Amino acid sequence: MAGGGVDEGRRNFLKAMIIVAGLSVFVGMLRGLEVLVPPKVGLEEFPRLLLVDERGNPIKASSIPVNGRQIALFPYPLNNEPNMLLNLGDENGKPVEVPPITVVIPQNGVSYEFPGGVGPSRSIVAYSAICQHLGCTFPELTFYPPGVKVMTANGPMDKIIYCRCHGSTFDPYRGGAVVTGPTVRPLPAVVLEWDPSTDELYAVKMIGPVIYGHPGFSNPTLDTVKNPTGDLQGGSPAGVATTVVKYYSNPIL
Amino acid sequence: MGECSFWDWITDTLHLRDLPFMGAPSLMFNVRYWFGTIAVAALAWQVLTGLILLLYYQPSNAYDSTMAIIHNVPFGSILLSSHLYGAYVMILAAYVHGIDVFLRGTYKKSGGAQWVLGVLLFVLTLGVSFIGYSLTGDVLATDAVDVGKGVLTALGLQSLIPVFFGNGTQLDLFTRLLGWHIIVAAVIILLFMLHYPRVGYRVPAISRNNDLTIKPWWPRNLIFTLAVTLLTWGVILLVPSILAVPQVLGKVPILFSPYPGPSLTSPQASSIPAYPPWFFLFLYKMVDMPFGLTVNAVMGIVIPLVVLLIIPALDRGGSPHLLDRPWVTALFITGLIWVIELSVWGAVQPGIPVKPTWFAVVIIPPVLVSFGGVYAARRRWIKVKGRIARFTTRGVKFSLSKNTAVALGYSTSMIAIVAITTSFALNPISDGPYVGVMWGIALISLAASLMAYLYVEYL
Ligand code: FES
Repeated sequence: MAGGGVDEGRRNFLKAMIIVAGLSVFVGMLRGLEVLVPPKVGLEEFPRLLLVDERGNPIKASSIPVNGRQIALFPYPLNNEPNMLLNLGDENGKPVEVPPITVVIPQNGVSYEFPGGVGPSRSIVAYSAICQHLGCTFPELTFYPPGVKVMTANGPMDKIIYCRCHGSTFDPYRGGAVVTGPTVRPLPAVVLEWDPSTDELYAVKMIGPVIYGHPGFSNPTLDTVKNPTGDLQGGSPAGVATTVVKYYSNPIL
Repeated sequence: MGECSFWDWITDTLHLRDLPFMGAPSLMFNVRYWFGTIAVAALAWQVLTGLILLLYYQPSNAYDSTMAIIHNVPFGSILLSSHLYGAYVMILAAYVHGIDVFLRGTYKKSGGAQWVLGVLLFVLTLGVSFIGYSLTGDVLATDAVDVGKGVLTALGLQSLIPVFFGNGTQLDLFTRLLGWHIIVAAVIILLFMLHYPRVGYRVPAISRNNDLTIKPWWPRNLIFTLAVTLLTWGVILLVPSILAVPQVLGKVPILFSPYPGPSLTSPQASSIPAYPPWFFLFLYKMVDMPFGLTVNAVMGIVIPLVVLLIIPALDRGGSPHLLDRPWVTALFITGLIWVIELSVWGAVQPGIPVKPTWFAVVIIPPVLVSFGGVYAARRRWIKVKGRIARFTTRGVKFSLSKNTAVALGYSTSMIAIVAITTSFALNPISDGPYVGVMWGIALISLAASLMAYLYVEYL
């Protein structure tokens, strides 16, 4: 009956195999208890994050609308640090190459090298969406594309990032440099990397002053502007391998 | 045999032979009798994963905290997607279990109480899944909540809207949804406890101890229950993990996506039709019918529910054979066809108002076909009925040789070991879906090897 003609040795071997398999599956899935460990708040170093949409599909650089009617925001390096992803263009909607440039901080004269735009036309840039003056965020701080002028301290201007809170103006075509105050610090820039073979974009680090509200933001030094590690503290990471880009309509259009 | 005495020792120490579990005849080791068990196994998975999700979900930040579970928490993508598919498996198992109970006519034996309890459990399961689905705060959840409010209004129950959905702020909405999700889940567990032990009159055990084909509960039932449970969990892990693999994810229809859809503010949101979860598509299509919301809701919810609940009262005693209760059978078949038709229709034309002709074309033929077919079959059945005293059902004879089964057992346990070893090489955050695939394969293989062992040793 039992075993139905299969000899006892083989049956016991099967039993032993199943016990070993059962134990290894148990131990293997015990590793799942790691799910209880909450992700760390803050980071040790800048992570290299792939930009994806909300379904997890990578954002293609060539599909980012030029002077988009919508503003693409993604958190980097922490969840509470939103950034604007812009594909800059001219009046005719043609992408404009954004060259590398030296950005000077009016507060203390310290300067740093902005690496320029990326993507097929070197026109894609990303800046912190938190104003360096007193921390207003998008939609107060937003991009005015060519042809959409706003009254600034320098008269009506377009092609700028302008903050409606107190009128600070930044130049996205020049590394986020200050155009008019009251801010005394440029917008921190996200250093992007473009993979020409896949057309995918990565955020690899920040450059410039520390993002508003994070440790050391009010006091940029020669060292911190090159590697603003203050950005890594005071929040939970935006992602481990990816960060999600979401689109919002631009309130000024 | 050291191992044998070890098992004997466990058996004696824990008095396993004396437990009030009952034995089962060999023919019961067939998945057909175990859909209730599958539903319980899925429920257990839901409780486990649900409690862990509770540690991360933030009603104040519904969508982003849900996405953070997928992107930032180790094994988080598996946790969330298997919680979704665990619910799907529970719903499917409940459907199959209910259909099976109906076909066998066992609702007559329990005096109807178990049937009514089962129907309530089914409704609550759909309800708790709906609430859980809405917790993500994605565009579909928002649509689902709106439809839910609309249906309540149509039934004249507007005053319940603040009770279920809060005072109108987002924070109150998600706080309440979370609370109700847990409350309804707790009620389901309580009702399950009432539903389960009484099942003894049929499955998984039979109480006639003098029947020699019935073997003791230990260890056969335990091994089989364990195998069914592991199989269920394996499927719950494997299916959504395959769908979540990046190359597959983009091609998955939104109704079956393992992850939440886009957020409300996303431009993609406008391109997505207002879908409810797939298991409510039939209801959603009913709402599009040309009779006004109230009549639609009564036809889609109240009437079917009442009919399901009073079936045992209308159809008592007598033979459980399907053709000996023709009108119930025809009604049941009609209802099932309606659910399928309306669901498919709802998926293809969500929210598009229905013209009366189309209503007639879809709703009337199933009635004619089912009633016509069942009564035609019944006329033949009555003629032959007297001659066949009783159907003797035998378990299908296995043609699998025991040696083959041993070989199967070896290979599946090897696969389980290889799969689980592979999972150690994968990162629990960035490779989540792949870990889920490996775990799913490991659990399903382990279940298969347990089945093989049971077959070799005991059947
Ligand atoms: S906060 Fe932006 S200008 Fe003051």
